[in-house]
Amino acid sequence: MTVPPDTVPVPEATGTPRPGLHGRRAALRGRPAMWRLGKPMFWLLLIFFILAPCACFLALAVSPRLFSQGPQWFTLSYLHQTFTGATAVAVANSLWVSCAAAALGLAIGFPIAWLAGRTTLPGRRWAAGGMWLVLLLPSWLPALGWERLVQADGVMYRAGLNLPFVTHAIMGPFGVVLLLGLRSVPFSFLAVTAALAGLGQEFEDAARVHGASRIEAMRLIVPMLAPAIWSALAIGFAESVSDFGVAATLAYNSHFPLATYALYQDIGNFPPSFELAAGTGWLLVGAVALPLALQARALRGRSYQMLSGRSRQAVRRQLSRRGTAAAVAGVTLFYLVALGVPGFGAVSASLLGDYGGSFSLTLVNYRAVLHQAGLIGPLERSLIYGAVTASITMVGGFTAAWLLAQRKSKSTRILDFMLLAAVALPSVVFGAGYIFAYNLPIMSRLGINLYQTTTLLIIAYSASSLPTNARVLVGAVSQLQPSLKDAARAHGAGALLAWARGVLPVVSRPLTMAWLLTFCGVFLELPLSQLLYAPGSPPASVAIEDNLSNYHFGVGMAQSVLAVGLALLAVMVVLGGYRLIAPPGWRRIGGTARG
Amino acid sequence: MKRSQRHRRISLITGIISAGVLALAGCSATASASGASGKVTLVVYSAQGYDHAMVAAFQKATGIPVKLDDNSTGPLLTQIEASKNNPNWGLLWVDGATAFAGLDQQGLLQKGFEPKVQWDALGTQSLPSDKSYTPTGVTLMAALVYDKTKVTSPPATWQQLLQSQWKGAVGMNDPSQSGPTYPFIAGMMNNLGGISQGERFFEQLKSNGLIIHPTNGPTLQALTSGQIKLALVQSSAGIGAELGDHKLVVKYLDPVTLLPSAIGIDAKAPAAERKEAEKFIEYVLSPAGQKVMQTGDPTGDSLYYPVLQGVSPLAALPPLASAKTQNINPYTWGPKEATINTWFDSNIVQ
Repeated sequence: MTVPPDTVPVPEATGTPRPGLHGRRAALRGRPAMWRLGKPMFWLLLIFFILAPCACFLALAVSPRLFSQGPQWFTLSYLHQTFTGATAVAVANSLWVSCAAAALGLAIGFPIAWLAGRTTLPGRRWAAGGMWLVLLLPSWLPALGWERLVQADGVMYRAGLNLPFVTHAIMGPFGVVLLLGLRSVPFSFLAVTAALAGLGQEFEDAARVHGASRIEAMRLIVPMLAPAIWSALAIGFAESVSDFGVAATLAYNSHFPLATYALYQDIGNFPPSFELAAGTGWLLVGAVALPLALQARALRGRSYQMLSGRSRQAVRRQLSRRGTAAAVAGVTLFYLVALGVPGFGAVSASLLGDYGGSFSLTLVNYRAVLHQAGLIGPLERSLIYGAVTASITMVGGFTAAWLLAQRKSKSTRILDFMLLAAVALPSVVFGAGYIFAYNLPIMSRLGINLYQTTTLLIIAYSASSLPTNARVLVGAVSQLQPSLKDAARAHGAGALLAWARGVLPVVSRPLTMAWLLTFCGVFLELPLSQLLYAPGSPPASVAIEDNLSNYHFGVGMAQSVLAVGLALLAVMVVLGGYRLIAPPGWRRIGGTARG
Repeated sequence: MKRSQRHRRISLITGIISAGVLALAGCSATASASGASGKVTLVVYSAQGYDHAMVAAFQKATGIPVKLDDNSTGPLLTQIEASKNNPNWGLLWVDGATAFAGLDQQGLLQKGFEPKVQWDALGTQSLPSDKSYTPTGVTLMAALVYDKTKVTSPPATWQQLLQSQWKGAVGMNDPSQSGPTYPFIAGMMNNLGGISQGERFFEQLKSNGLIIHPTNGPTLQALTSGQIKLALVQSSAGIGAELGDHKLVVKYLDPVTLLPSAIGIDAKAPAAERKEAEKFIEYVLSPAGQKVMQTGDPTGDSLYYPVLQGVSPLAALPPLASAKTQNINPYTWGPKEATINTWFDSNIVQ
């Protein structure tokens, strides 16, 4: 029997405004003052902390004199230069590589999310937990590991494996797509997992009751996860196109230029060419229109509100012996490639004293780190910055995700584009944009001196994390039925209590994941930290980078390993805390039962 | 909606925004905030490995509060350029006179200050005519580093690097990521007679299999892992690696280009902060300051050649007398940096 691929129809959400001004006023009537204020305030914050810095930087491409960076009030010459020569090649490379990486990330992340969330995969808790480690690793670390493995006279050749075709493959576009794709897997995993939490068993049961086979039931289920899938693709594309770690290591050493490196070169030159960098930024921002257009087309006219308090716990599928073996082999291969290789890269650089020239292990770099004064302070700061930013972004991300999940209007389309465009811009651009926006002379005259303060650094971290955070949550938020809150209000709860009692329990798990996602992203974030940290209060990434780029490479690698370990510990504490503190009912929603 | 309700709503929004702005402003500390002692805080931008030790010693000796932005040279210069319409720094301390010449030509540096010290030959060569920056030490670009157990007959001249026996065996840094590398490239061009002659040399080097890595650390790692046999890096990096691995040897080919580390003062800083910056420079060049410089980063930036009479370099440094040094004019080569780096990245790195 053929099951229609469309989602199961759900009633129109209550309170959905009728078209026109009367409809809008009717919807607003009865809403509390805080709700009416909240939306404009949220937009105001987005304008000040995302749009303004991006706009200030991008404006340099056409008006350098606006920020004293050149003589022209208006020129198109820098935009023209972006479409020519090496920059155009780099941008074209970035675009196709990012498409491929996003697709690869989904192709790997979706099955792992399904296996970990809906089957009896052995070690599924470790599989889910390992994703955080993949996310924690800075993107240059796996690239470094691969290079040490396959480069001429590298470990592969020293081990007797003479495989030049592997070297050629990895040290080229294929390797770049592989690494960026692996980097996109956690985003896909988190987005799909959050959406799976709202996919109750009743949909699959309904299909099976009507005679659908397992595969036909999957054909029904998978389209219901469309918002999460498209979010995963969009964020995978945007993160890949803005990645600098792979661009500066593997891609650079493979002579395969990417747009982010070209942009970095423009800024890193002296004097910096912010105008050329802004021109490249315009192209990257424009590029994100592609996944958004595809997403809008795919999701048009459908509703995905399926999550309610009556969603039944999904049943874990018992894998066959062959299925178990295949699933374990596939997941193990992924983690071997995603973690094993960078782990080797970190070990080889941090446990080998003589710059990695031999295979003899030594702890001299770790001893140097522990004896080095001033390391604990940066690590403590990064933990605090990460926790504060994650908390702010979780609230903002949920708000943005809720707005994105509403019926598509002009404002939600603008919000969608703005958030994704912010992800597409490399962090170094964001950081420079903050300097241009918040170090204007008029700011000082008004007494607003935010530049080089911890406040602005936290704001920048939050603004740069918000888009990804919102994307990860939109899948789960799309599934919320308005009746959840309405039911609580009908029983006399105020607006906040209704949200806390009706909505929070069902989104607690996705919110926790979104919190951890931001924490991991901020903990070792470098470009924003380098440009905006308050003098005298460096975060861990700045302290580590100082060693990595100079004479103390091994010490820097040891610092990186320790920092990643500490962040992973923090992740385990939060996940363990959720398990202990969250009421059983909260954990039941989105959880699974044995089949 | 009634007018009174609308007015209340507007007032509430305005009040919230104003409170938010005031709160943010109140949370911010200005760069020139006074310390508890009433002295102005000096903001130091530095890429030196011994800057933490120096700042601590200076504060202890003078009581002047200091805020240190310890960063790589690139981000520091990016911050300065991006904020030049409203600067927040007091002094800049990095390697490379070309960067200071560029800042001077933009009118960003205070001119006319020279501490009363006895310069040696290196110091005298490194002083700018308008006294817009002060040299504090010198390293060399580029030092040739090799493993003596693998390379028994190292090249004696730059031209010998083009020989077939060194095919695929020479590595150097990328000037767009490694600030000290541009003076090396400019020095080669200066020595060979011009830009086009220098370009031809590096093109021949590339044809002979030149391998580029971003900065000193990765290039030295390529040397010790066996990917390359000869590394062209900053002298302090090479000597630091030699201290950690006694198989490595540092050699200077003739000529080698001087790379001063220098301090420049922000021309737009408040007068009080500029005075404190001058005191900082005087302290750095004092006997106490030189001791901090030589002990603050003993396997890194402390491996410099002093610019003052009566101060000897650390024992690990090869004697400079045997090497022929050259000094490039930073005001001539500084403006060419962006163009030459772009050419290098397009033709040599890619």
